[in-house]
Amino acid sequence: MTVKVGVIGGGGFGRGIALSACRAENDVVLWTRGFHKGEGAPYHTTTDLAALKDRDIIFLAVPSPYMSETSTALGAHLDGRHLLVHVSRGLVGDNLQTLTRVLHSTTPCRRVGALAGPLVADALAKGTPGGGIVGSLFPEVAEMVREAIAGPALKIYGTDDVVGVELASALVGLLALALGYAQGLGIGPSALAVLCSRGIAESQRIGLVLGAREKTFAGLAGFGDLVAAASGDDRPEMKLGRAIARGVNVTDAGREAGAHIEGVTIAERVASYAMRMHIEAPIAATTAAVLAGKMTAQAAVAALMSRQVWVE
Amino acid sequence: MKNFLQRPLRLPRLRPYVPEPDDPPIFWFNSERDEIVREVVRRVVEHRSKSSGQMEYTLNEVAFHEVERLEKQKDSESRESLGKWRGLLRRVSRMNDDERRDALREIALNMAKDVAGNFDPRVYAFAGHAVPRLLTAVMKPASLPLALVSGAPEALDKMLITEGCIPKLRRLAQIGTLIFVPTHSSNLDSVALGYALMREGLPPVSYGAGKNLFTNPIISFFMHNLGAYRLDRRIKATLYKDVLKTYSTVMIERGYHSLFFPGGTRSRSNLIETHLKLGLAGTGIEAFARNQARGVKRPVFFVPTTINYALVLEAETLIEDHLKEHGKARYIIEDDEFSQIDRWIDFFRRLTALASACVIRFGEPVDPFGNDIDDDGRSISPNGQVIDPSTYVMTRGEVKVDGGRDAAYTKELGETIAKRFLSDTVIMSSQLVAHVLFRALVKATPGVDLFGRLRYRGEVSMPIDDLYREIGEARDALIALEQQGQVRVSPSLRNETPEYLVDRSIAFWDGYHTRIVARRSGTDMVAEDPTLLLYYQNRLVPYAQRIAPADLHDVATEIVRMERR
Repeated sequence: MTVKVGVIGGGGFGRGIALSACRAENDVVLWTRGFHKGEGAPYHTTTDLAALKDRDIIFLAVPSPYMSETSTALGAHLDGRHLLVHVSRGLVGDNLQTLTRVLHSTTPCRRVGALAGPLVADALAKGTPGGGIVGSLFPEVAEMVREAIAGPALKIYGTDDVVGVELASALVGLLALALGYAQGLGIGPSALAVLCSRGIAESQRIGLVLGAREKTFAGLAGFGDLVAAASGDDRPEMKLGRAIARGVNVTDAGREAGAHIEGVTIAERVASYAMRMHIEAPIAATTAAVLAGKMTAQAAVAALMSRQVWVE
Repeated sequence: MKNFLQRPLRLPRLRPYVPEPDDPPIFWFNSERDEIVREVVRRVVEHRSKSSGQMEYTLNEVAFHEVERLEKQKDSESRESLGKWRGLLRRVSRMNDDERRDALREIALNMAKDVAGNFDPRVYAFAGHAVPRLLTAVMKPASLPLALVSGAPEALDKMLITEGCIPKLRRLAQIGTLIFVPTHSSNLDSVALGYALMREGLPPVSYGAGKNLFTNPIISFFMHNLGAYRLDRRIKATLYKDVLKTYSTVMIERGYHSLFFPGGTRSRSNLIETHLKLGLAGTGIEAFARNQARGVKRPVFFVPTTINYALVLEAETLIEDHLKEHGKARYIIEDDEFSQIDRWIDFFRRLTALASACVIRFGEPVDPFGNDIDDDGRSISPNGQVIDPSTYVMTRGEVKVDGGRDAAYTKELGETIAKRFLSDTVIMSSQLVAHVLFRALVKATPGVDLFGRLRYRGEVSMPIDDLYREIGEARDALIALEQQGQVRVSPSLRNETPEYLVDRSIAFWDGYHTRIVARRSGTDMVAEDPTLLLYYQNRLVPYAQRIAPADLHDVATEIVRMERR
C-alpha cells in the first residue's frame, strides 16, 4: 500500500528522505520555505504546511533551534492519526530535552519517533546502501518508516528506546566533531580509537542519567554511527572539526561544512549538564572549551591524554 | 466456617431491582453481570485458542502455577482443588482441541465468576447514610446525637476534605466514563475515596480489591456489594491476568466508572509514586479503542487523584517493610494495622480530634492520550486545539485495536499521571514538620548513610524556635510553589501558625503511633523516631531542594539522593 509521506525541510537531509521515499514508490510531498523548488524532482513541493494534512507520516528534517517553531505551526494542521519522525541530532535546553518531547508538547501527535544512525544526506539521495534506526515507543512508527523509505539499499531497524536513540545520535554528532578535530591535528589511529571508545562510554553515562538504555549506544544509533563517521562517510561534523583544527573559526568552519552542525550548539550544554549532574564527561568538556576558543589544540590533547586510567 | 466467611455475602432480594434512568451505570451492573462474565470468557478463550499448541501451553501453565500455589498453601482450598489441577497436568497432552477448548472455557469461567463483583443499591444507600454515623459514633461518641438530628456526620465531614474540579467531574460523568487513578498510601484509600465520591455527588465506581481485603467479613460484605471485584494476587497464571484485564476492559467499554491504583500497591516509603505501570488502568485505552471500532463514541476520562493523610493507619508497618526488604517489599501484607480493629479505633479517634486530617484532591482529567479535557468533555491538544481522541487509535484513517500501540499510550499516560501526582499532592502539616526535623537530623549526621541515620533515635534535636522558623520558611516556599502549580498545600498548613502546626503534628502522632515520633525537651524538639519521620517527610522529597533555604540546599540534595539510592 502506498504511504503518504510528508517531509519538512528542503535541505540535503530532507531531500534525501524524500528521494528515498520516492524510490520506495510512495506518494511524497516536501515542504520548504521556498528556496528549494524541486524542479525535476519525483516529489511534490509546497510552502503550505496545510498541504501535509493528509499525510500518514511526516519526517521533520529541520535544525533543532527551529524545531519548536516549525512543529507548532505544523501541529495546527495535524491530529492524533499522524506519525511524526524527526532526523535531528539536536537537544534542546539546559536539561538536554530530546526533540520527540518537543514534538509531543507542541503538536497533538503522540506517535512520534526519531530516525538516526549512519544516515548521510548524499547517500540517502543517491540510494547508496546503508541503514538507520528508528526510536519510538510505538512499534507502528518503525514499521511505517520502513514502508516509507526502506528498500533493498536501505535497512531500517527499530527500538523502543527513543531517548537512547536521540541521545546517542546527538552525542555521536558531538563526538564526530571531536574526531574530525583530532584527525585534523594529525592524531594517529590508536589515539582516535581511544577517543571513540571513551566517547561512547561517556555518552552512555550521560544517557543513563537521562533515562536511556546503555546498550542502545552500542548499536546503530551509537557505535554504528560513529564507525561510519570514522570510516569517512564525509559527514559535515568531521569537516567542521577538521576546519577548526586548521585554525578556521567556528562560523567559517560551519560554512565550509555546508550544513547546520548540531554538535556546535549542544557541546557547551552537554558539558554543563554533565558537570551539574556529576557525570564524568571530559571529551564533551574539552570539545566545548575548544569550540568556545578557551582551549588550544595542545592543551586539549594534553587534557585528554593526562587523565588517570581506570579499569575499562 | 472460615471459608463461609470469606465467601462474599449477598442480601436476598424478592424482586429484581429496576434502576431509574438517572441512576449511575453501576446500578445496572447486576442485571448485566452474567452477560459481562460470558463476554469475558468468550474473549479470553478466543484469544487463547488460536492454535492447539497455544491451548496446550495455556492449560499447562495455569495448572502448573495452581499446583505450585496450592501445594504451598496447604489449606481447605488445596484439599478441594489440588487433585483437579494435577489431573489436568497429566491429561492435557492427550486432550484433543475440543477438550482443550472446553477445559479452557471452564477455567476462565470460574476465574471470571470469582473476579466479578456485585452491586446492591440497598447496601450503597445504607453505606451512605449509616456508615459515616457509625464511624462518627466510634470516633466521637458525644457528637452522635447531634449527627442523628442534623443528618450530618460531622466528625467524618470535618476529617475529610475534598477539593479539585468536582463540578466538572459531575458533568463529565454524564458524558463519558470516569477512571479515577489515585495515589495509594493505605487500605483505607478505597473507603475514603468511595465516601468522598458519594458525598460530592460523584458516581460510585467499580474497583479491584486484593482478595486479602475480603478476609474481614464486614469489609468483604461492603466491598463485594459496592462494586468491588476480587483480585487474587496469589494466582500467577497468565490466563488469570487475561481474565482480569478483559473483565476491566469490558466494564469500561460498557461505561462503568472505575477506580484503579496505578502504583499497584501501597507506597511503602510514602514517596509519591513516580513510576506508574498503570496495570489494569491501561485497559481504559483498549476499551476506548474497542468502543471506537464498534462506533461507540463514549469518551474515557482519567482523573488523577491524590489522597493525602496527616496520619497513615499502616505507617509503621509500611516503612518497616520498605526498609527491611530493601525494595523487595512483601506485595501482600495481611498482618498490618488494617487488620487490627483496636488500631482502627485509635486511628480514627486521632483523626477526628483534629480537622482536615485527610485531603482528597481530584485533579484535572485527561483523555487516554494525556490531553487535557475542557468543561464539555472535549480533548484539548497541547497546542490548544480541540481534537478528536478517536484519531489516536486510527491508522491510515481506520480505527484499529493494537496492543503494541496501546501499551505505548499506557506508558505515556503513566508519565502524565505521575506528573499530575506531583502537582496535585497536598502537603499536610505533619509531613512538613517531619521534613524539617528530618532535615535537621541529616544536617547533624554528615557522611552517614540512611540506615546509619535511622539509628540516631532521640539523639538529634533542634531548638524549637529554629523549628518554628524553618517550618514558616518552608511553608512560604511551598505556597510559592503552589502558585506556580507545582504542589498543593493543605488548609491547616496554609492558615495556622508554625507553633500550632507542630503541636498538631505531635498530637496526631502521640495518640496513635506506638512509638514517640518527636518530643519536646525544654527549648528543644528531639527527633525521637527517625524511621517514622522519614516516612512522613518522604512526601516532600520531590520539593525538598526547592523549599530549602540556601544554607540547607546541600542537606536537601542529600535527602533526595538518599531516597534515590
